[in-house]
Amino acid sequence: MKQGSVRFVFIFSLLSMALMLFGLGWTIQNQFFSGDAGSSRMEEVEPAGEAATSIKGKFVVALGDSLTRGTGDDSGKGYIGYLVEELQMKTEEKITLQNFGVKGYRSGQLLNQIQQAEIQRQVKNADYILITIGGNDLFQGGQTLLEMNSEKITQARKAYLDNLQKILKGLRSLNEGAVIFHIGLYNPFIDLNDSALTTQIVRDWNHETSRLLDQDQKAIYVPTFDLFQLSVNDYLYSDKFHPNAEGYKLIAERVASLITW
Amino acid sequence: MYSLVRNELLKIVRKKRILVVAGIIAILVGMFTYAQWKELDRRLERFGDVDWRTTLQQQIIDAQNRITSSGISDEWKSQLQLRIQQQQYYLDHNVNPVEPGAPTFMRTFADHSITLFLPLMVMVVAADIVSSERSAGTIKLLLTRPVKRWKILMSKYLALLLSISIIVVLFGLLSYLISGIVFGYQGWSAPVIIGFSAEGIELNTNAVQLIPQWQYLLMEFSLVWFVALVVGSIAFMLSVLIKNTPAGMGVMLAALISGAILSNMVSSWESAKYLFMINLDLTAYLAGKAPPIEGMSLGFSLIVLTLWGLAALAVSFIVFTRQDIY
Amino acid sequence: MSEITLAVKGLRKRIGKKEIIKGLNFELKRGEVFGFLGPNGAGKTTTIRMLVGLIRPTAGTIEIGGYDVQRNFTKAMSHMGCIVENPELYPYLTGWENLQHFAGMLPGVTNAHMEEVVKLVRLHERIHDHLKTYSLGMRQRLGIAQALLGKPKVLILDEPTNGLDPMGIREMRNFIRYLAEEEGLTVLVSSHLLSEIQLMCDRVAIISQGSIIKVDAVKSLLALQERVVWRAEPLARAKEVLSGFTQVHNAQDGTLVTSYSDSETPLWNKAMVEQGILVKEMNRKLPALEDLFLELTGGESVV
Repeated sequence: MKQGSVRFVFIFSLLSMALMLFGLGWTIQNQFFSGDAGSSRMEEVEPAGEAATSIKGKFVVALGDSLTRGTGDDSGKGYIGYLVEELQMKTEEKITLQNFGVKGYRSGQLLNQIQQAEIQRQVKNADYILITIGGNDLFQGGQTLLEMNSEKITQARKAYLDNLQKILKGLRSLNEGAVIFHIGLYNPFIDLNDSALTTQIVRDWNHETSRLLDQDQKAIYVPTFDLFQLSVNDYLYSDKFHPNAEGYKLIAERVASLITW
Repeated sequence: MYSLVRNELLKIVRKKRILVVAGIIAILVGMFTYAQWKELDRRLERFGDVDWRTTLQQQIIDAQNRITSSGISDEWKSQLQLRIQQQQYYLDHNVNPVEPGAPTFMRTFADHSITLFLPLMVMVVAADIVSSERSAGTIKLLLTRPVKRWKILMSKYLALLLSISIIVVLFGLLSYLISGIVFGYQGWSAPVIIGFSAEGIELNTNAVQLIPQWQYLLMEFSLVWFVALVVGSIAFMLSVLIKNTPAGMGVMLAALISGAILSNMVSSWESAKYLFMINLDLTAYLAGKAPPIEGMSLGFSLIVLTLWGLAALAVSFIVFTRQDIY
Repeated sequence: MSEITLAVKGLRKRIGKKEIIKGLNFELKRGEVFGFLGPNGAGKTTTIRMLVGLIRPTAGTIEIGGYDVQRNFTKAMSHMGCIVENPELYPYLTGWENLQHFAGMLPGVTNAHMEEVVKLVRLHERIHDHLKTYSLGMRQRLGIAQALLGKPKVLILDEPTNGLDPMGIREMRNFIRYLAEEEGLTVLVSSHLLSEIQLMCDRVAIISQGSIIKVDAVKSLLALQERVVWRAEPLARAKEVLSGFTQVHNAQDGTLVTSYSDSETPLWNKAMVEQGILVKEMNRKLPALEDLFLELTGGESVV
């Protein structure tokens, strides 16, 4: 009986070793000597375009830049997080959120993002689509405004509006019924020199954005300029650019008041 | 020779080494299974559904956000970049990189175990295979038999080889059987994409192939086995050189752990790529991850490891056959 | 009877600059028990380890059963069984498994032969128990069984009675004599205890600081130094008579000490009786090897 266990181990280990040797041979053959793998080559698979899975309750898709991500809010929720919390208090229905915000995104990148199959699949399911975009197009990390080159700004705005239009069109073609909220820009530099000039630029920017959104009945422009106008420093994060938790809550409240079931 | 190998195997079995290793693996697999199951639960709660595409998309978004944060090292950035492109590739081709099921669990578990956990398990057997005979004095009986010394050492090495094979296969079996309780036993034929390669921060997808998961697992485990073999050979050499088993284990542990640490910070120290402990992560090449040092590839690592293994064996045999036993 | 089973010629071992073994020469014959006597550190263990192939000699040859240990290791080893220091076997195996383990390393050991050996060392009742449960004496016997598995011509035992109780020592002694006398083995026994060598060996080599001082039959060595202690009255007269034959020493406790001779001593006694001296005690004193050793090594302590 005791001898048996050793024999069993011996045979089992021999088989194991043979299997591993075979595997190693195969691996080496596959990795180094299968120049033209022929049939095992990656075949093109049709992209994921199947019908949306039904989700119970309301489905919110958030797109855009760092504001969507919640940069500056220490709890990491951002206006999206507070908004969902607030909405959840108003309804029994379960609210599901997909946040696709990426820090530093500009309108061009967002346009690319919504070409992706999975993003499209999610958009199809959405009841509400929330967008923050344009801040990086305009401020480019603060560079454009400091240079005050009106020609460049006009150029940037034109490109932005162009992209935004395509984005809206793209979203609409995927989902006809969803309500789209676009969150407007505020002026984080309102306390600095030349505030009159920067404010003018941001107002123009917002104005054009708002006009564009007016073309769609179910697209809503949500202004934030006034929220930050008087006490901008109370609502900005220490980077003097992104909102802090309080700032995000203000935005969330405003959006929440616009959503009705 | 057969009876010599049988002797050595008998000793390993009677010392209950393989049982101990199997026990440790079982406990660890249990823990990881539980952890993954919890994670799945959390995701279900947060996103309402656990469609893999949703999860993968979120991972991409997370990584994209991480890349833009300041204070992230360039290497990490380019690794993230590659990973994003790879995940996007999976998403675009509608292939789930982590098809739920025990085989997928095996795959990820082996991926994570190849550099440290499995080498440690191999050490449990290898570290004292010669040194214990010396410290117990039984070496004097072994070496006064009418058998040449190299044969005795060879029988020990072969027994080690067999034990390592058992350990690797047990590792696979246990992780399959235990994780299957939670995740189910399906998923052998799920497609896996291999053949990604990195060109700077761009992902090269020219050579990608779609293979069934069982084939991937076979390849992965054979690489795991190879790594275990090389680590085993080096531990074997230390066991010959260092009479004191704990001291030999300490040396080996230090090497393995330094390898795990170094891998994350050696990209500028180029000659480190000739160290065996930097080359242990063979399955990373299969998965198409960026190597720790520019210019390393599966072939390169296989050759480096083979040379280390052979050198360790040569040293073991030369020392063992000439050594005076006091 | 005079077949030479173990021959050592010009054996030397140098470690670093220090020469530990300085040229040993000796030959062992079939059926004899050969003692290897010397204090700890004299080089006994190093020599034995060279004999069994554990240590490489710096110079010199060792032949076992006619085969050179260096050049023809496996053949030489197949004629030898040994226990170096303690019988270190595998505690996690049973006695039988231990034997099987070593039998596996020898050509053609049958189960029947193993059982025979086990019977010989009288372990048959406990052979399937784990070694952990064995007493030291049983381990020693199993060690010998292991050494006998290959039907060796030469058995080399390093300090075989170390750690045994008096019963065990006597058993071991008888067993060694049995092996030599009945089985015709050559047994090399090392020890630092004179009494032991004296009791079980035919010949003895005395080793000190790496050299053999003397090789001789135990009997003749003893005879050289055997003494008689006399108690007689009157003492002065007795001394006078004995002085006529041999040298006489006065001992403190009122006795006389002379050398011993099988043929002469009775005659001295007769002479004293004839002279009217009362001989109260004639005592042959044997364990004089200590003195011999002290004499040979120039005062180095034996124990």
